[in-house]
Amino acid sequence: MYLNIEEPTERISTDAVKVWRISNSLGHLLALIIIAILGFFSNMFGWFDWINIVLYIIGGLAILSAVFSIVIEPIYLQRTWRYQIDQQFVQLKHGKWQVKHTLIPMEKVEYVRSEQGPLMRMFNLYKIEIGTTTSNHVIPGIPSEEAKLLKAQIATYAKIQDSDLVEGETGA
Amino acid sequence: MTDDLKKYHPAIIIVDLVSFVKGILWPFLFLFVIKASSTAIWVTWGRYILFIITIWSICSFILKWYFYRYEIVGDSIVVHEGVFVKKQRTVALDRIHNQKSNTTFVHKWFGLTSLTLETGTSGENATFHFPVITEVEKERILLHLEQKQDTFEDVAGEVIEKSPERTIHFRSTKKDLIKASFTSFSFLAIFPILTAMYFNLDDFFQIEKTAKNALDYLLGNDWMLIVILVIALALSVLIGFIQTSIKYGNYVISDDMERIYIDKGVGKFVSFSIQKHKVQGVIVEQTILKRLLGLASIKLISAGGSKEEDEEISSLYPFMPKQEAYRVLQTILPNYLIEEEMKRFPIKVLWLKLLHPYYVTILVIIGLMIFKKEWLWVAAIVLGLSAIFRILDYWFTSYIRHGNTVQIRKGGLTNETFVTHRERIQQITVKHSWLQRKFGVATLKFTNKSKPLHVSELYGVSKEEASSFYTWYNTPTK
Repeated sequence: MYLNIEEPTERISTDAVKVWRISNSLGHLLALIIIAILGFFSNMFGWFDWINIVLYIIGGLAILSAVFSIVIEPIYLQRTWRYQIDQQFVQLKHGKWQVKHTLIPMEKVEYVRSEQGPLMRMFNLYKIEIGTTTSNHVIPGIPSEEAKLLKAQIATYAKIQDSDLVEGETGA
Repeated sequence: MTDDLKKYHPAIIIVDLVSFVKGILWPFLFLFVIKASSTAIWVTWGRYILFIITIWSICSFILKWYFYRYEIVGDSIVVHEGVFVKKQRTVALDRIHNQKSNTTFVHKWFGLTSLTLETGTSGENATFHFPVITEVEKERILLHLEQKQDTFEDVAGEVIEKSPERTIHFRSTKKDLIKASFTSFSFLAIFPILTAMYFNLDDFFQIEKTAKNALDYLLGNDWMLIVILVIALALSVLIGFIQTSIKYGNYVISDDMERIYIDKGVGKFVSFSIQKHKVQGVIVEQTILKRLLGLASIKLISAGGSKEEDEEISSLYPFMPKQEAYRVLQTILPNYLIEEEMKRFPIKVLWLKLLHPYYVTILVIIGLMIFKKEWLWVAAIVLGLSAIFRILDYWFTSYIRHGNTVQIRKGGLTNETFVTHRERIQQITVKHSWLQRKFGVATLKFTNKSKPLHVSELYGVSKEEASSFYTWYNTPTK
């Protein structure tokens, strides 16, 4: 452990890997098809040479990115994602090479919502979105029962804490 | 605490009309004066359209005055808007973070003023604007506001002795104004004004030819040129001074137990007030020039700010001597203590910063390789500059945390010191990349409520400090 802190412990579902793999595959496939069509037209109508070169470069990058985001990335994302909810804070952590810890006080949470796409429905997963006044955060890939519970829990905690800060500050 | 629906003062029609005339002046001049003899179709149509717009606007101003209403009901203000589509907006008084009032020349003629209440939210309902109200009415609304917010405080269990008098902490003098007009370079403002005038007139008259003749004449007579330059310079200094006076003249900073008040302006008055406990943080800003002259500007970060042109208003007088600025801040917000002595990060952070890829340089190299190979030496200059900026960035970055307070300083050409408290931070992120782990450091990032959001990011904090920062924020308050 690099930082000497209390890290969050809850993991996300292993099915998230499959969801990411499928959706990233579809996305990249679509991108490659579009590039291929453009390349086809470029050859057929004799567009400028540099267009072909650019298309090859983009295509190459797309293939590299496909390998990374279909084969490698989902496993690491799933393995490194941690979250934890308690009365006071939402804690999130993810990433392997670039590790990111986020800490949101419950009293700043404005809304919580769950979302499920068609792919996620296949695996019975939800993602939870936590919104604050300043930004929003998504916890991906949570099994449906757990997601409902989590959502209710965040909502309850956040409501308990809902008060405008008026006490004045304790200061330096 | 209920009272009736109030209409705006009829002068609202005139205020709207004046701003409308301001907007329509140029098209009007163009269509009716400059193109007076033209019979082109688009000119004729343009005149009709202008005419219709004018009639429509005048009608809508009158209807607006007739239909728009506002009222104070219990703890909230309700605004009724719309002529055909009716709209009601409500805001709870305790949601209002700060208020501004703006008295233009037109307002002054009628002895009126305007008032804007700003809430902490964004979007359509973020601000409540009363374009034209009497001073008495403004005081009445503000009284409601203060009462409401006071009782709210009392409920929160705090005994606050009310002191109705304000203490004045700063009043700008002529000397301050002269300093300000030079530091803000406002004496250079004459150049954009002249150019704008030149191009605007040039569209209509052929002044380029006349100007050329005049220029030829001038170039022939050296002394004449010098005299004109001196006159122009004197004039521009004068104009700069007048501009600064209008903007920063009569600057008064005062406070009472509850609020901070900033009033300013000559001719056109602007005033601003914020509750002390709604200040989200304080920024001390120093440009190179201000650093040389020992001046500093202190800004109060608040959630209710709007992106309008009057951004300057939330700052304490921007050209105050640094020590005095600190003194004023100390008296009005004793919680925001600015620590002058700050430690730089260890030198290894500099190496780490220098080690990062030089993307701009790489892009420049690629660009030059393709388009202009013989200019490749430019890349070396770009590389040098980016290295210098990184060194400056390292040199001026520092961080300090004590008790409840975090203070960070960042800089280079402009130095910025930001102070905030734990309760004011909306969320934090601590992150570290592979390279940072090799150096034993991490990045801190925290967000404060403001408009736009105030995000502070600090690269190169030691991992021990990053851990204790995280734990510090993670400790429950209650």
